[in-house]
Amino acid sequence: MTLTRRAAVAAGLSLPLAARAQTFAKPIRVGVTAGVHAQVLERVRDMLAPSGLVVKVTEFADFIQPNAALAGGDLDANAYQHQPFLDQQIKDRGYKLVPVGRTVMTAMAVFSKKTKTAENLPDGARVAIPNDPTNGGRALVLLAGAGLITLKEGADFRATTLDIVQNPKRLRFVELDAAQIARALDDVDAGAITGNYAVAAGMDPLRDGLAVEKADGPLVRQYCCLVVVRQGDEAQPWAKALAAGYADAGLKGWVTQTFKGAVIPGA
Amino acid sequence: MPSPALQALMLDAFWETAAMVGAAAGIAVVLGLPLALVLVLAGPGGLAARRLVHRPVSLLVNAVRSVPFIILMVAIVPFTRGVVGTSIGTAAAVVPLAVAATAFVARLFETALREVDRGLIEAAQAMGATRWQIVRKVLVPEAAPGLVAAVTVMLVSLVGFSAMAGAVGGGGLGDLGIRFGYQRFMPEVMLVVVGVLVLAVQGLQMLGDAAVRRVSHR
Repeated sequence: MTLTRRAAVAAGLSLPLAARAQTFAKPIRVGVTAGVHAQVLERVRDMLAPSGLVVKVTEFADFIQPNAALAGGDLDANAYQHQPFLDQQIKDRGYKLVPVGRTVMTAMAVFSKKTKTAENLPDGARVAIPNDPTNGGRALVLLAGAGLITLKEGADFRATTLDIVQNPKRLRFVELDAAQIARALDDVDAGAITGNYAVAAGMDPLRDGLAVEKADGPLVRQYCCLVVVRQGDEAQPWAKALAAGYADAGLKGWVTQTFKGAVIPGA
Repeated sequence: MPSPALQALMLDAFWETAAMVGAAAGIAVVLGLPLALVLVLAGPGGLAARRLVHRPVSLLVNAVRSVPFIILMVAIVPFTRGVVGTSIGTAAAVVPLAVAATAFVARLFETALREVDRGLIEAAQAMGATRWQIVRKVLVPEAAPGLVAAVTVMLVSLVGFSAMAGAVGGGGLGDLGIRFGYQRFMPEVMLVVVGVLVLAVQGLQMLGDAAVRRVSHR
């Protein structure tokens, strides 16, 4: 869906980009997934408006289509995925896509309404983790880091519950839609939630999390999301302008403030 | 009350839903009626029973109907791009909606056409009416109330299906509810969207019922 009819709220923004005004031939179509990436892109779009670059936002309720649409020429860029996911997609589908910049990363945290510390989770506790492949693996890595489980040697974000080698508390994992976990927290003993959803649901990862991915950790850096374009478009002025929009100091401040540190500006 | 920007989004979403449902319904009726006639006429005991025609058509309709809509939508992306030139957006969502609705309404139409009293058809045959005349002058007019009711059922189902258009960036009210109400935790948006959808479906059903009364001569 295009959001161009929505009035651009340009007032009150620092606009270093407007200074070097350029002419852009045509509007660019940028795909994002609904939620945090759409929110940030809307902000970037409003910031870029004075520079003459018109960004048309298309929000997807799906992780596969934004890349398929970009590779197929229906989008000019997308901004919703991290490097591991992009690599996997390129490997699986042979897409000719390249990252040109970084957007934001969302730190994941484990929350519980029943206990304050991870050690106090009862035996046989039910733990909700995201049901999408990369975030589910992330949750397991986070739980392993908190000492609750042990994963197979070398397990990374691709881990599944089958890669658990030790589970002393006999935790039971419930796989749910990522946005659903914050809502289902009353029905489980703990849940691993990405920062954007946690903040939207009124929780503070840094204060309430039993275990939190470190903002400077290599893991979070790995999960920084990217601005991705088709090969050959890397040097296009609009691609550079879009990447610069995400790297803008004003945007970074807004992200930090809006998401209370649970969404971390990348770049 | 949601902010003015959100209200504008809701208005956009309303028209997107109206466009998706309207366009898909129009296509489905135009394609579904001939399909239903083939199913009835070529079917066992039909006026032009043809196993070799009926079987493949019936299988095709069943096949389309068995594919979950969300899968249909992404599976026919190449076809969609061929038809409307893009795989994303509201126009792109119309294609899978129309395909699903055509198969759905063809079965509903078929049922309505089968309800027509055989005595009337036999009477027309006795008067020397051709098959085409029977279809135009007897079968379709007599089945009209059932056909209109079938269109109403399809319209309401399409409103539901259109909520999945978000998978291809199709927009619409259901998608807005998911993107803002669900993904951004704004329950008030979800509430307004659901309220509008309830009213829209209510309105569609009332219009449909009124139309059925108009075309029924009982």
